[in-house]
This record gives sequence, C-alpha cells and structure tokens, in this order.
Amino acid sequence: MQASRQPLETMNTDEQLVLAFQGGSREAFEELFERYREPVYRFFRRRLGHPGRAEELGQECFLALLQNVARYEPRASFRSYLYGIAMNLVFAERRKAGREVSENEKLDERVDGGSGQATDTGILVREALGQLQNDEREILMLREYEQLSYQEIGVLMRVPVNTVRSRLFRARMAMKEQLVAIKDGD
Amino acid sequence: MDRSLQHAFDAEEVMAYLDGELEPQRAARLASHLEHCAECQGIAREMRTVSGRMLNFEIEPMPERVTAAVVAELNSPTKPEPVKVPDVRRKMWAKWHELAANRKVWGFAAAFAVVAMAIAIGSVSNLRRSREAANLVSGRVSELSAPAPQHQQAAGGGYKSWLQKDAAELQASQQALMSESVMNTVQRAEPAPPAGPPPAPPEEKLQSPDQVGPMIVQTASLSIVARNYDEASEAIGKLAKARGGYVEKLDAKAQTGSARELSIALRVPAKQLDGFLEDLRQLGHVEQESQSNEEVSAEYVDLQARLRSAQATERRLIELLATRTGRLEDVLDVERELARVRGEIESMQGQSNLLLHRVNYATVQVELSEVYHERLQLGISTGTKLRNALVEGIHNLEDGIVGALVFVLDEGPAILFWLAVLGLPVWLIWHRRRARLAAKG
Repeated sequence: MQASRQPLETMNTDEQLVLAFQGGSREAFEELFERYREPVYRFFRRRLGHPGRAEELGQECFLALLQNVARYEPRASFRSYLYGIAMNLVFAERRKAGREVSENEKLDERVDGGSGQATDTGILVREALGQLQNDEREILMLREYEQLSYQEIGVLMRVPVNTVRSRLFRARMAMKEQLVAIKDGD
Repeated sequence: MDRSLQHAFDAEEVMAYLDGELEPQRAARLASHLEHCAECQGIAREMRTVSGRMLNFEIEPMPERVTAAVVAELNSPTKPEPVKVPDVRRKMWAKWHELAANRKVWGFAAAFAVVAMAIAIGSVSNLRRSREAANLVSGRVSELSAPAPQHQQAAGGGYKSWLQKDAAELQASQQALMSESVMNTVQRAEPAPPAGPPPAPPEEKLQSPDQVGPMIVQTASLSIVARNYDEASEAIGKLAKARGGYVEKLDAKAQTGSARELSIALRVPAKQLDGFLEDLRQLGHVEQESQSNEEVSAEYVDLQARLRSAQATERRLIELLATRTGRLEDVLDVERELARVRGEIESMQGQSNLLLHRVNYATVQVELSEVYHERLQLGISTGTKLRNALVEGIHNLEDGIVGALVFVLDEGPAILFWLAVLGLPVWLIWHRRRARLAAKG
C-alpha cells in the first residue's frame, strides 16, 4: 500500500495516521494509541468512576477502533470519531447496567475517596458534577476535559452549536453554584 | 437589571470568547470591552475559576495492562474478536435469527426482492443519467477552479473509467488550490511550525505559581492634605518618575470658595511601591491610606494553559493544511478555523501581557488637597453699584423710548383711522347742536 510505505515522520495529523492505518501501517495505529490512550482512559474514568470498568471500556474503545477503522472517512475529525465511539460505549454501559451501575459507581467513589488518588478539591468537583443535569454535565465535561470545540460537541451530542453554547453556560453557572454550595455545606 | 440593556455583550458571549469560540471581530471588540467593564471581568473571572477548579478532578495514569491488551490484539494474526455488544444489540440479533429461521418470512422476503429488483432496474437508467450530469458539472467546476488538464473521455473506457478520471482531475485541481493556500499560510506563520506530534509542544513550559512565585496585583490609595499644595502636586509626578513609574491619569479641581484638589492615578514598579508610598507620606498629612492585594496566579496559569492549547491547535491546523488532501470546502473550513484560532491567540496574548503589566506595576491612587484658608470676600463697591444703576437706567430709558415708538408705529394708523371714523359724526353732531343753541340765543 502506498500509505504504509510513507515514512511516519510525515504523518503528523490524526487523520493521516488513520488513513495510513487503513492502508496497513501498524506504526500509525501505535502512534494514534500513544496519543489517545490517556485521554480516552480519563474520559471513561471520569464518567464511570469504576477504575476496572474504565480500563475495560478504554480497551474496548481501541478494539472497536481497530475493527471499524475501515468505516472512518476523513470528513470528520478523528477526535470526534474516537470520542463518538467512546460516548456510545458509555451510553451503552449506562443503559445496560442501569441502577446497578449507579450503585457500583457510588461504591467506587467511596473507594476512590479513601485511596488517596483524589484530592479534596477533586472530590468536591466530582460531587458538584454529579448534581448537574445529564446533558449539561456531558457538555461541560467534553469542553473542560476533552477540550472539544462547540462544533465537535454539537456533532457528538447531536445538538446545534447554539444549544451547546447555552447549555455550557448554564452548566458552568450551575457548577459554580454547586461548588459554592458544597463548600459552604462542609 | 437586564444586562442586555447595558451591555453590547451578553454573559454567554464572554464565555464563548474565553473558550475561543467567538468570531475574531466580535472577539476583538469584546476584548477591548473587557478591559474596562468590571461586570464582564467578574463574569470572566467566574468562568476561569470554574474551569480552574474543574482541573482538580485528576485521574491516575492508565494502567499498562490496557496497553498490553490492545497491543496483543494488534499483534494477533487473526482478526480481533468483535467488541462486546450491549444487551440491546444482542437481543436484536436474537430476534433477527428467529425471523431468519421462519420459512414464511423467507417467502415474503423473496417476493419483496423480486419487486424491488424490478423497480431498481427501471430507475438505474435515470440515476445514471443524473450522475453523468452531475459529474459533467463537477468537471466544469474543476476546469474553472484550477488549470487542470482538460479531461477527455477515453475511447472505450466506459462510464466507470470516465468517472474515475474526472474525480482525479477534480482532486488535482483542489490540491493545486490547497497548496497555494498552504504556502500563504506557512509564509504568514512565523516561525515555521515544528514537525512532530502536535499535543506536546516542548518549547513552552506551563508556568505554574510555584515556578513564577505568587502573582499579586497591588493597589494602594492615599488621601493627603498637603502642606504646600503647589510643591506637592509637582513632586508626585517626579517621585513616580524617579522610581520608574508614570502618571496614568490626572484630574485637578480649583473651584472658587473651596480647596484645590488633585486626583492622580500612578503606576509604579511593584518592587518600588513601599518606597514610593513612603515618599508620598512626606508630602503632607495622610488622612486615609489603604492597600489591597489580589492574587492572579490561577488566572494567569489558566490563561497560559489556554494559550498553549490554542497554539498547539494552530500548529495542528497548519500541519493539516500542509499535509491533508480533501475537498476545497474542507480546506476553506480549516482556513477559517485557523483565522479564528489566531484571533484567539492574539487576544489571549494581549490579556496575558495586560495581566503581567498589572502585576509588575502597582496602581497608586493619590487624592491630594490643600489646607483651605477662607478668604475675605470683598463686596462690590458703591461706585460700581451707582455706575451699574446708571447703566441699567439708561438701558431702561432706551427700552421705554423704543417701546413707545414701536407702539405708535405699530398701532398709530389704526387709532387715527378709528378716530376719523367715530370722531367725525360726533364732531358734526356737536357742531350742529352748538349752531342751534347759538341761533336760539
């Protein structure tokens, strides 16, 4: 394949790497994996709370990428594509486990809180996030943690950019109030 | 009160500006507005605080076993096993298998397939004609967009080969346009972006408060009653200049019947603030003095992080333009995005410089006033009063004469007319009576 013979140094963009991987370049996938392994893990870890499940879903996400890479078309950014897979896995996970997952998450949060991984402020932030509405929390997290643009968030959440902006604003205001309320409550 | 009545920018726009999601022109206007509007600054500060605090939700590094599992799948000679599908999908597959096992379903499916094929055969010719027309238009666009070689349908090549050739020409023309665009972009971008993975710009380290020390904006305010107002007012500017500072704003008042006042805003190097305040205290009696410190380390770090992120995005976009082939619309989209990101970077650099300036130069507000001595207020002299009365009298006389003349000229003719009309009969009656009495007498 033409793409696989291309030196890796010239494949700088994610999209180029995916195309090279579609052409059979193993190095291209390794490079992509290196770039996104931590962000994808953090994505699941922040949303599911359970470290073990976050690992599994992170792994599933990259395996899904491996298996479905042929379907990728460079019309959309690779980041949107990858986080789209991750988002679908999260939604599926929530639907699948329902209340069971919620209970597990509560348990895991308690475990995390005692493990020393989370700072006091980090726990406050997580509690405050938990008080937000689902769609507003998701948009806020996609912006703050995944650093996605309004456009990319709109594509992922299937809402117009203006809706993303207004919900993000509401989420930030609510987050501010929640942080103050939790702090005062302590 | 509704902000929109007072502000040209709503709070959402302030947020979008901080996120780099505002159009460059609008962003530039908002940046200018933000420098002076305390309310919008407050909103921006709240947004930054929320973003800054959210970063405290940290996650431990990904366990290596995940990497090992993915690499193992990558090394596997066989096709990786399918990703576990959620239960919902699994149920759908089970239902599908149940249907597939039913012969009646197969019978209906076969009948449906026959009908569908008949319809499809009828519509293929129409579809082909419409696609040929579309590709002809596409070919024309290609010719107009770039000096691509004119396409000629290969003899005996068939529809498919003609289509492929046309698509290749269209792509060639787009690449030519894009290359030109990339050259322009790279020439504008100084220095040239380094090659390599975009998420890790090594040349710029994020400055944390620990590395740069606490960043504090210092503000001081003094109210001084000067012993010698003139000397003190001159000395303030000189003292500031001597310590490397400057006068930012000056407002002097000298109203009759009250003490002179000087309100002056100065900027002096933060390190010189204590010495400068000591100098000011020597100018007179200090009636009021206050100092405040605002730590802006978090704001600065947040700004630097966003700046770094935007610069990384800019590099990625430039690399994207330089290496990616695609539709012309995509290239133009990337160009627009690049312009937006550049506007955002410039705006953030401006904010960063402003913040550094506020930290490096303390603001000192001095209210200087003099010791006021009530002065003897001498009244107007008698001669002046008489003279004024005479002048006023002459003016009144002049006004009276002019007024009378105006009345006579204005009303005189009418009065004479009515006197003639009414007075003549009265005079005739009176004259006849008098003649009659004379005849009797």
